[in-house]
Amino acid sequence: MIHSKITEKIRETPSTCTLKFEWDAAVLPGQFIMIWIPGYGEIPMSISDTGNPKAITVKAYGPPSARLQELGVNDKLFFRGPYGVPFTEVKERKLIIGSGSGMACLMPLVDSKSTVMISAKKASELLYRGKINAENVIYITDDGSEGTRGFPDTVLRDFDTKEFHMVYVCGPEAMMYKVLGILSARQNRAEFSLERSMKCGIGICDSCSIDGIQLCRDGPVIGIERLKNSIEFGRSKLDHSGKRIRVEI
Amino acid sequence: MLSVSLAGIKLENPLMLASGILDQNGYTMKRILEKGAGAAVTKSIGKEPRSGYVPPIVSVIEGGLINAVGLSNPGIRNISGEIKIAKESNKPVIGSIFGATPDEFLSLAASMQDFGVDAVELNLSCPHVKGVGTEVGSDPSLVKEIVKTLKGSLRIPVFSKLSPNVNSVLEIANAAIDSDGLVLINTVKGMAIDVYARRPVLSNGFGGLSGPAIRPVGIRYVYEVKKELDPLIIGVGGIENGIHAIEYFMAGASAVQIGTALMKYGCQIFSNISREIGEFMKAEGFQELDQMVGAGIL
Repeated sequence: MIHSKITEKIRETPSTCTLKFEWDAAVLPGQFIMIWIPGYGEIPMSISDTGNPKAITVKAYGPPSARLQELGVNDKLFFRGPYGVPFTEVKERKLIIGSGSGMACLMPLVDSKSTVMISAKKASELLYRGKINAENVIYITDDGSEGTRGFPDTVLRDFDTKEFHMVYVCGPEAMMYKVLGILSARQNRAEFSLERSMKCGIGICDSCSIDGIQLCRDGPVIGIERLKNSIEFGRSKLDHSGKRIRVEI
Repeated sequence: MLSVSLAGIKLENPLMLASGILDQNGYTMKRILEKGAGAAVTKSIGKEPRSGYVPPIVSVIEGGLINAVGLSNPGIRNISGEIKIAKESNKPVIGSIFGATPDEFLSLAASMQDFGVDAVELNLSCPHVKGVGTEVGSDPSLVKEIVKTLKGSLRIPVFSKLSPNVNSVLEIANAAIDSDGLVLINTVKGMAIDVYARRPVLSNGFGGLSGPAIRPVGIRYVYEVKKELDPLIIGVGGIENGIHAIEYFMAGASAVQIGTALMKYGCQIFSNISREIGEFMKAEGFQELDQMVGAGIL
């Protein structure tokens, strides 16, 4: 277990904050750590800043992430990693599509050649609003309280993607499934960061598996060609007990 | 050269996926079988769904891994679909089950038989859940009763997976001797403390140690039980290469299971070990696997 201290805490939205911490390790965009909150649990977290200090951006989903949000500067952080296959980085123009807290793992990819589509339920939940140094930022909200009303797939449908050398996508599976559907009919290279219940982080417990591969080891970043042929993506997954349940699309 | 028959089940090689590792999703088992495992054992299944313990459920240490997953499983009525998917590989799938009483084991085993598994493996050895696993598997009369109940009612073979965390493995092995085979060993009870957090890493506190660190323990029990009781044995514990597997064969195992090594080597490990065993047999003049079984026993 690696241990470090929180050096800065930034409130991003009413439900999300970023914790910065010193960690002198090579981490690539798309990789993640398993962060341990003693007494509360252990959860996978994307690295939202791969420089040093590094950062994680936390949304409170359950007791471990809620406790993580309560921590402050100088509190200890315990974690292991980095884990997972990173995004393939390209120097040319890229399109980044992030929905909800899915934007956290995409943040290290953002540069001056990026067009970024960020979506959230409402304006106040738009992650990193006003902080993104990209060529173009497109805000999308479910309720229309900022930017375009709708979802990334509704915007993408009429959006020309020919000029982008790569499309990076992360967010709820329903959104990614629809984006996959649109991009499958085009010639774009694309990579998606997937999510499944993750417990061990080291490729043995089978909780995060999809189509026989383990997202903690062979993912979470999966290329469009592999995803097009997926049996489970957008259809079914296993819950915490291992019971197969439907993915709501 | 590598094919083996275990209580009538034909395996194209003697390497099985151990229970608890990459074996709750049918597609994962299918892929591992297609990548070279001779058979797969499912995660241990009980009557009702269990979410298991809150992570951390694993702690990686030098020489292996300590786990306390907490027998997470979807419950017997939700596992048939996964078995069906795994069976698309056309290779043997063995259903692991855990329970507290002979009747509970029988009911689970009968369901597994209906789902089409090739054998059942009784988890008499999980070290970290109250009322089942080792708590059942350390009581010789209860073990005898469970094995007797199942052997009298099932058409498929019954394998009993035993724990090293008991006073006498020989005594328990003797109690389970009417099984079609004994699986030796489950994990060794252990614990890891994070000194900076000043508490055990696993949410359950203690767990089961697996990996290379326990191989000598497994070898010793396989050797001892084979020498004293001569049952069919499936060896498990710390196998990472062909030589390790052969060490188990020579101690008396007819087949072996591999689990923790997948963390380091991925599912490629099965075909790698098969190749290494073949190379060893050729170099050392063995024609059949059987010739190596127990060859190291004095």
